Order: sequence, then structure tokens, then C-alpha cells
Amino acid sequence: MNFPFLTLITFIPLLGAVVVALIPGRREREIKLVAVLFSVPSLVLSLIAWLLYAQNAGEIKFLEEATWIPTLNAYYRVGVDGISLPLVFLTTLLTTLSLFYSSYTIKKRVKEFFALFLLLETGMIGVFVALDLVLFYIFWEVGLVPMFLLIGIWGQPQDRPQYSAIKFFLYTLVGSVAMLLAFIAIYMTTGTWNILQIPGLKPLAGNPGLAIAAFWAIFLAFAIKVPSWPFHTWLPDAHTAAPTAGSVVLAGVLLKLGGYGMIRILLPFFPDLFKQFAPWIGVLALISMIYGALVSMAQWDLKRLIAYSSVSHMGFFMLGLVAAAASLEVANPVLTSRAIALNGAVLQMFNHGIITGGLFFLVGVIYERTHTRDLKAFGGLSAKMPVYYGVMLTTALASLGLPGLAGFISEFMVFRGAFALIPTYAIIGVVAIVLGAAYILWKIVQHVFLGEFSEERWQEIFNPAHWHFSLDMARFEVITMAPLLFFMVLVGIYPAPVLNVINAATTALLAML
Amino acid sequence: MAIPLSWWLTVAAALFAIGLYGVLSRRNAIGVLLGIELMLNAANINLVAFWRFITPQALTGQVFAIFVIGIAAAEAAAGLAIIISAYRRRRTVVVDELDTMRW
Amino acid sequence: MDFLFSFTPLIPLFPLLAFAVIVLFTYRYNRLSSDIAIGSIALSTVLAWAVLLATLLGGEHIQVEGWQLRVPWLPAGTTVLDLGFAVDGFTAAMLFMVPFVCLMIFIYSQGYMKLGQPDQDPRYARFFAYISLFAAGMLGLVVARDLVLLFVSWEIMGLCSYLLIGFWSFRKADDEHHIDEAQVIRARKAALKAFITTRIGDVLLFSGIALLYSYTGTVTLREIFRPETLETLQTISLLGMPAVTVIALLVFGGAVGKSAQFPLHVWLPDAMEGPTPVSALIHAATMVAAGVYLVARMLPLFIAGFEVADAPALHWVAIVGAITALLGATIGLAQDDIKRVLAYSTISQLGYMMMGLGLGSLVAGIFHLLTHAFFKALLFLGAGSVIHGVEHGHHVAAHADHVHTEHFNPNDMKAMGGLRHRMPYTFVAYLAGTLALVGIVPFAGFWSKDEILAEAFHLWRADGALNLPFWVWLAGTLGAFFTALYMGRQLGLVFWGEPRHTAARHAHESPSSMTIPLIVLALFALLFGFVNAPFLGSPLHHFMGGVHEASEVVHAEAVPFNFTVAAISTVLAVAGLLLGWLLYRNYRPGQVEPFQVVLGPVFTLLRNKYYIDELYQQVIIRPVVWLSNFCFNIDDRWIIDPFVDLVGAAGRVASDIVRVLDSVVVDRWFVEGTAQLFNAAGRGLRYSETGRVQNYLLVVAVTILLLLGLYLYF
Repeated sequence: MNFPFLTLITFIPLLGAVVVALIPGRREREIKLVAVLFSVPSLVLSLIAWLLYAQNAGEIKFLEEATWIPTLNAYYRVGVDGISLPLVFLTTLLTTLSLFYSSYTIKKRVKEFFALFLLLETGMIGVFVALDLVLFYIFWEVGLVPMFLLIGIWGQPQDRPQYSAIKFFLYTLVGSVAMLLAFIAIYMTTGTWNILQIPGLKPLAGNPGLAIAAFWAIFLAFAIKVPSWPFHTWLPDAHTAAPTAGSVVLAGVLLKLGGYGMIRILLPFFPDLFKQFAPWIGVLALISMIYGALVSMAQWDLKRLIAYSSVSHMGFFMLGLVAAAASLEVANPVLTSRAIALNGAVLQMFNHGIITGGLFFLVGVIYERTHTRDLKAFGGLSAKMPVYYGVMLTTALASLGLPGLAGFISEFMVFRGAFALIPTYAIIGVVAIVLGAAYILWKIVQHVFLGEFSEERWQEIFNPAHWHFSLDMARFEVITMAPLLFFMVLVGIYPAPVLNVINAATTALLAML
Repeated sequence: MAIPLSWWLTVAAALFAIGLYGVLSRRNAIGVLLGIELMLNAANINLVAFWRFITPQALTGQVFAIFVIGIAAAEAAAGLAIIISAYRRRRTVVVDELDTMRW
Repeated sequence: MDFLFSFTPLIPLFPLLAFAVIVLFTYRYNRLSSDIAIGSIALSTVLAWAVLLATLLGGEHIQVEGWQLRVPWLPAGTTVLDLGFAVDGFTAAMLFMVPFVCLMIFIYSQGYMKLGQPDQDPRYARFFAYISLFAAGMLGLVVARDLVLLFVSWEIMGLCSYLLIGFWSFRKADDEHHIDEAQVIRARKAALKAFITTRIGDVLLFSGIALLYSYTGTVTLREIFRPETLETLQTISLLGMPAVTVIALLVFGGAVGKSAQFPLHVWLPDAMEGPTPVSALIHAATMVAAGVYLVARMLPLFIAGFEVADAPALHWVAIVGAITALLGATIGLAQDDIKRVLAYSTISQLGYMMMGLGLGSLVAGIFHLLTHAFFKALLFLGAGSVIHGVEHGHHVAAHADHVHTEHFNPNDMKAMGGLRHRMPYTFVAYLAGTLALVGIVPFAGFWSKDEILAEAFHLWRADGALNLPFWVWLAGTLGAFFTALYMGRQLGLVFWGEPRHTAARHAHESPSSMTIPLIVLALFALLFGFVNAPFLGSPLHHFMGGVHEASEVVHAEAVPFNFTVAAISTVLAVAGLLLGWLLYRNYRPGQVEPFQVVLGPVFTLLRNKYYIDELYQQVIIRPVVWLSNFCFNIDDRWIIDPFVDLVGAAGRVASDIVRVLDSVVVDRWFVEGTAQLFNAAGRGLRYSETGRVQNYLLVVAVTILLLLGLYLYF
């Protein structure tokens, strides 16, 4: 495969950012059009790459390699397998949708917004495709700055955007620094930055103390990003303050960077340590799941509620990962259980991206109209906005894991693996499923959509002069949600197209450990 | 028969000293310039004398002298031009009064 | 005829398609939408009966071994999880009842939701979409070959029950004459309660399925029930019990939620907030039947658990069933809402089914499930017809008298009375349903209830001691008396006596789209019992009794008809019915209830449903809400976030200190000091710059001389 798929997917958005930066700032229509158009090739290419990726090959494909910084022994080395491909696709999809959506809703500093967003895309895709620790680290940091600015500049003023942006930035940076140190320690013993080679070289095998320190340092970086309890408090602030598209990408993609790192780096580098510490990480996962759900239930701010639900849902992901890591056996039936758990974890990331991304868009729908997210301010909207109700209900049900929609499949697989490998954790974890139903139906559906619709209250919050589209979901909002709904239903009913790719890669990964 | 080298050098040294004195003591800029010419010519005498007494087979000393004469001419021309231009601006050729670079 | 089986996947597909089509395209066209829904369920019924026919003709081979279809669905490591459809005698028996009862309910709904009338429900099309999905869920559950597909269907029904119970949970201002504000709030609460309560059970079932899949590597029912698989499950230990027992109990947890068994029964009565056809759907053909179906399907697992551990799983089914049967029947004595009485009756009857299954008799439980589906659908639709008629009467009365009584509740039995003359078809049908429920020969309920009681009696007599079957039999027999009592009360209050409200006085018969399904169902309530009548040789036993044979743990033999049991229960039933009817047929408004006179404080207890709702509110809901707020405070106000902010603040303080150090020591002293030093030096030295060329030259000359001197000197 000589066609440089991954380089193009990664850097076309960067090119787009440059082009957008060169357009005069007052030509907003052109800027928006150019930005959206520049995000499309990556989406198309990632879809083609997915289709080309031989369905049952577990190995890395589309490999590109070039010397980059010889003095550091760093290479430009990119490639994808079945774990990263769905996430790359998720990134390109959500970015295109976000740009499309934002082209209708962003009013201030348009040029900067779109340029930064495209830059952000490059950073995020780069993390998923990088196979060199230096490259990985650089992309990891590249994504940070645009997100910082997106929250800080375009955040809603009442949500302390600067505070949230700085919190987000510092939190991630603390983790990154720890991670960088660990990477350097690994390089010192293995002499390579190659992510694919390091597992075979048993990094830090001769120095258990340092290995444990490196393990936790890398874990910290990824756990902050996931985020796992108790490193999660940046998330509600950042999600709440960010503009709609920012929240979508933050929840949909940025959290996955941490999860992906755990699977791609932490688990293969330190399988024994991961197994050793699995009980502790499992406890963190359980706390994230249940605690996240409980705190979600206590929220009255729609966006904050969904942000906390992300903590809970990414806890499911961690549980699956822990189950897969809790044993090193590669014979069936244990391997099957581990593969199912890891499949569930990866699929949970994909699903969470689709579903929670969708939920944040849907919060945007109501927020753009009323400029409030207070659950107590709504009620009876299903009569006023039936299409919105239908779309939101579907997405919310997917989020709570209703069978037939995407969320269920990954939850089922995570718990299938967990019940086989770490049953005690699984038994406790199912509580989170009940709580999930409670906060979604009780808080979101009941307070926003059901009950008595009050015209006076609606007049107070809705000013038709500021809203130029239809009252129920406008066409651009429906177009934004349509692909997400499609994937929710597709994965829910027939997950094989997505799972074949993931399964081959996870099985190969686990067999290799 | 011949005048020894030391005599030539003595004459040149005297000439150089006279020139230096002129440069340092004359208040008229043209006088200063004349002093410089004297010093250059003192050097010429040295060059020619050294050539004659040390390396008569190579013409280097004479060539040097000719270069120096040429440069002296150019220098005199440039120097006089500067002095005239300074005179036009400041209406004086007294060196002490041309102190625009003072602190 | 085996080609007919290939139609099986289409049976749930048609209603599913109807749902999709209505939601996406035809939601603006009411008549078209309901026609699509009815057409699809009719097609399903035809296909289902065709499959039933194929099963009947296929003989024992098909009825026991079954037919199946597999589709690879979920790649899992080196294996692939298949999903699929399967039909055997049990499924075929369910396929006879489910789509047909659904069809009757759909047709009835067209009238109930007032198609074409001026006051037609504004969400008419949406209603038909939801009930189509509901039917699709139940049909999918019945034809599922695997637990995963079963669970998917199971949850789809949970969703539909949520949507339909909460059907009137929102409104616009112009809906006012359809629903009032209080109803909106009640419906909203009831829907949430139903979903969350059943969700608790669902999660247990979910865990059970995940465990089964973990231990056996399969979710296919037939493969789980292989004797060797069951043996493996018996040997694995989990939480100090054999895995098979744990799994069976978890599965039963799912059934308890869905089939509204004690202690998760609380959602079912509140589910009456939905439109009446929905109640019929939930209570007869679909939702609650699903739990019983599940237990029956998984019976080998329960029995295998019973064999090894000398108790739990199966006994719990019987015990919970018995408790529920008595609980439901007693609460039913004290309710005023016509639908709520029926709801508690459903709870109680589901208890009977569980009792039957808990005694290890597949056919007894399922037989009662089938007969109950017909007569309970009939009763609910009849109650709907009554409500419809009374509502209509209320409108007529309001128009005639020009008075609009605000707080009129059309469900209140105490506001009815004497309706047998005004709604004759409904009355006859309702009477048939009542007799079937109470268990009067030869109505359907008699045969099925009797079989359960005979089973218990038989097991008791075989053992001799006062064992579990004895208590089950006792509970069942007592329950039969209470059932008759509350039905007698209901008949007396609704159909006899004088109308106690103007609305009841102006009530009149419902349209034929409603009465025809009633008549059809009434015929089934009368005759359906004969499919397993002992004197006909218990045909149902032969048809579906063998489905669990392969597991080698379930043995289905029909219990012989026991005259004593039948006599006792019939006498009690007739006595209860007459007693209730006599006490209530001349009940006058405002009068103290006869039961209250007899029972005193017990009546209050029953009226308040044993205060179970209040107990849950205090013991579960409030602590959970409190805990969620507590966690939020920990997170946001008390510990975690303050800690993060503290770290931030500490960083700020440290940086302030360093800032001072930096600006004073480093910057002012070192950096600026250096600059000032040079500045001062320059200030002093500048005077050497005289600007006089001769001075400079002198310095040059002197310096050269000095250097020369130094050179020569050294």
C-alpha cells in the first residue's frame, strides 16, 4: 500500500487550517465553506481505509515510515490497526459534523475558530495513527492548545471558560509530563521509540521499581484524559464551558485519546504490571461508573449531567480493559473472554463517541434556542418539538444501553468479559446500568420533554428574534444528527462491520502479550 | 661609496617625526593632511631603502612604494574633498572646531 | 410443510416495519397509520398460525426438537456469536396466542382512540407505532433462539411500556379536553417507575445471561440445556452456590421485574395510567407474559439448580409466586379504580403461573399464561369499553346540563353502576371474562388454574408432609377465593345497582370496532380451556410438554384431574363471587364499604397496598437521591474539586512567592544592577571622547610608543 492514506488523513486538516488562516477574516461564508470542505477528504479517506483494511487481518496496515529527527532516533512512523481505525473514523466524522454544525452557530471570531478546529483534528488523528513515542507525544500536545483556546474563547461566559480552559490544560499537562518522563526511561532501556517494537523488548524489565513508576506515570496521563475517578473534575467544567462543537469533540474524541493510549501503550508495554495492578484499576473503574452515574443524577444542568455521564460510561470502558488485562492466558476460552472484554472496551469508546457526541449536539439544539441548560426551565417540550424529542429519546436510550441501539452491545461485551474474568467487579458494576436508566429518564427525558408545556415559561427563555431557523430541529441539526443515529442503530442491530475490524486487532494484540 | 642603510632610515625617521608633529600640532586641517603625506613618504623611503639593501633582486619594495604613492594621492584627494565639504558646512577648517563627535 | 418455518423471522419483522414506517413517514396520516399497524399484525398472525400449523403437522419431531435458523452476529475473539430464531411446540403455542390477542387489541384501539371522531386523540398515529413496536418485541422474544435476541426483545418491550404508560405524560395547551394536568404528572411518574423497576430486574437478567455466556460459551437456549452443559454449571461454584443456581436466580430476578412479582410488582398498578388498550397489551399478551415465558423457557436451569443444591432456585419461584398471588388478590379487594382492580388481579394471576412453574410443571404455568392472556385482554378491553362509555356519558351529561364537573374520574367504579342495561355487549363479554378469571366450569380459567392447584395437591399428597406444595396449594386456593370476591365486588359495583353518577346514567355502548374484539375474546375465554382439558387427553401437554426433554431434568407428565381440588376451588370461587356481588350490588355513594365494615383496619392496609410504595420511597428512592447529592457535593463542593482547586491555589501562592523573588532579587538586583553598572561606567568614560581627531591620534601614537617601549623593554 503505497498511497499515503494516513499522512493525507492527518495533514489535510492542517493544510485546511493554513488556508483558512489566509482567507480575510470578514469573508465568513468562504471560511466556513473551506473549513468544512477541508475536513471532508479525511472523512472519506478514513472510510476508504476502513473498507480496504482486510477484514480479518489483525496487524498494522497502511504503514509509513521515514527518518525524522536522526539525532533523537525519532521516526515519522504511522500506521493503523483495527483498534485505531474506528477511532480515526470517529474523529473525522465528528470533526466534519462539528464544523458543519458550527458553520451555523459560531458567530464570533469565525476564522480563528475554524482554523483551530482543523488544527485540533490533525492533533487528534495524529495520536491515533502515530507509532513512534516521540510522534505520539507531539501529537498529544498539539491537540491540547486548540482545545484550550476553543474553551477559553468561545465558551459560554457564565460558565467560567477561562477557569475551565486552564484547568483542562494544566490537568492534561501534568499527565503529559509524567508520561514524557516515562517514555524517556523506556527509551533508555530499549533504544527505540517504536511503539510496535517496545513490547517485545520488555521495557524496564531489569528495574522493577522504575517500571512501576513508569507504569503509573503513563497511567496517570491516560487516566486524566479518560477521565477516571478521581482525576475527572476537569471534565464537567471543560465540557460545560466549551462551545457545542467543542464539547462534542471533547467527549467524542479527546477522552478516547486516553483510552486508546491505555490499549496501545500501557497494556502492551507492561502486561505483567497491568495484571498485577488490575484490581486497583478495576476499583477506579467501578467508582467511576457508579459515582459518575450518581453525580449525574444530582445535576440540574443538562450539559453537566451529560459530562458526568461520560465519567460513568468511560468507567465501563476501563472495566472492560481491566477484565482483558486481568489474565495473561492465551488459550481458549479465557482468550475469548479477554477478547470480548477488550472488544467491548474499544466498541464502548466508539459508541460513547457517537452517542455522547450526539447528546452534546442535542444540548446545543436547545441551548442555541433558549440560552439556558437548566433542567427546571423546560418541560413538555415533546409536544412543542416532536422531532427533537424523537432524536433525543433515541440517543438517550442508546446512552442508557437499550438493546437494539449501540450502547447495549458494548456494555454487554464488557460485562460478558468481566463476568468471566473478574466476576466480583462485574456484579457491583451492573448497579451503574440501573442508575444510568434513572438519570437519563428521570432527569433528561422527564424534565425536558414530559410534563406540562408552559407557554409563559417558554416565552421567558425563547426569543424568536435571536433564532432564525425552525423551532423544532432545523434541517442542519437533523443533518448533523443523521449519521450519528445511523451508526447507533447499525451498531445496535448488526455490529459485525465494526466489530470484525476491532476483534481481529484485539485478538492479535492479546495473543501477542 | 654608498650611503649606509642607517642613514636612509634616520632621514626617514626624521621625516616621519616631522610629519607626526605636523599632524598633531597643526590646527589647519590642510596642514594635518600635509603631515600625513610626510609620514607616508617617510615610509616610502624606508621601503625603497630596504629593497635596495636587502632584496635587490625582487622589485617588491618599489612596487609597494608606488602603491603607497598612489594611495597617498587618492587619500589626499578624498581628504581635501572632505575638508572642503566640512568648510562649506562649518565655515572653518580648524580641526579643533570640527568636534561634532564630542560626547 | 416445513417451508413455512422460514417465515418465522418475518413474524416480528412486520410490526417492526410498521413501527418504522409510521414513525418515519406516515405519522401525519392517522387512518393510514393505524391500518398499517393492524395490517402488519394481521400478517404476523397469519404467519404465526401457519408456523403453528407446520408445527402441528410436523409431529413430535418438530414439536420437541424444533426448527432453527442461525445468523452470525457478533465476532468474539476466535469465535463468533450466532443469533437466530427457533420454533418448537412451546413457541408455537405462544405464537397462537400472542399475535392474535395483539390483533384484537389493535382493532379495538382504533375505536378506543376515536378514529375519525372530533375528539380523536392527537397522538393517534404515534400510539399505533408504539404498540406495533411492542408487539414486535413480544413476538421477537417468543421466536428467539438465543438469550441475547430474547433480551433485546425484552428490553424493547420495556421501552414500549415506558412510552405507552407515559403516553399522556405531556401535552400542549390545546390538548386540554383529552387529558388534565394531574394525569400528565401521574403518567410521567408511572412511566418512569415502570421502566426503572423493571430495569432492576433486567439488569439481573443481563448479569445472568452474561454469566451463562461466560461459563458455557453460548447463549443459545438449546445448547445451554444440554445435559453435559447443565452438569458443568452444577459443578462450578460461584458465591458459595452452584453457578446454575445463581444464574437461575438472576434470570428469575428478570422475570420478577417484568412479570411484576413481589417485591418488584409496584410498577404494574401504576401502569394503568396508559391508555386502556395498552393495559390490555401489557397485562395479557406481552410484557408480563414475557417474564413467565422466560422462566418457563429456562426451566431446565431452575430444575438443575434444584437438583444439586436441594432448594433455592425453583423453590423461590414457587414461594414468590404464592406470595404474589395472595398479595395481588388481597389488595384487589380494596381498590376503586376499575383498571387497578384488574391490575392487581394480573399480579395475582402471574403469581399462579409462577407457582405452576415453581412446582416444576411447564405446561401448567404456560397453560394458565395462555388462558389468562385471553380473558385478561377481554377484561381490560371490557373495562376500556366501560370507561369509554362512561366518558362519553360524561360528555353528553356535560353538554345537556351545561355543567362541567371538573374532577370526574371515569375509572372510578363507585361512580358507575347499572351499566348492564346500557352496555349489554360489554356486559356479556365482561361476565365471560370474569367467570373465566374466577374459574367457573367450563370457562378457560377453570382448567388452567385447576391444573396448577392439582399439581400442587398432587405433590403434597405424594410427599404427605406439610411441605412447600401444600402451602402453595393453600395460597392458591385462598387466592382463588379472594379473586372471586373482588370480581364479585367489581361486577356488583359496575354493572348492577343504580347509576351513581350522571355520567354512568348517560353511558352507552361502544362502537363495533370495540365490541367485536370483545365478543371474539369472550368466545376464547369460554372455549380455550379445552385445549388442555384432562378429559380430552390434555392435548397441550402432548404438544409442548416435551420441549425440555432433551435436558434430561424436566419430566412433563400431565397430572390427572383431581376432583377434590376442583370441587374445593369451585365452591370457594362461587361463594366468593356471590358474596362480593351480594354485598356490593346495591352499594350507594357515600356508604361505608361493606368490606371495610368486616375487615376494619386491615381494609385500610389493603387500600394502601400494604404501604409498599411508601416503604420503597423511604428505603430506596430517598437514600439513592440523597447519595447522589452527597457524591455530587463530595465531587464539587467538599473534597475532590476543592482539592484540585487547592492544588491550583497552592500553585498560585508559590508562584507569587517566586514572582517576588524574581522581580526583586533576580531582576532588580542582578539584571538591572548589571545594566546600571555599565551605565555608570559609560557615563564616566564618555568624557574621553573629545571629538578632536588630533587627541585620538595622540592617544594612538602614545599607545604605540608605550607598547613599543614595553616590547623592547621585555
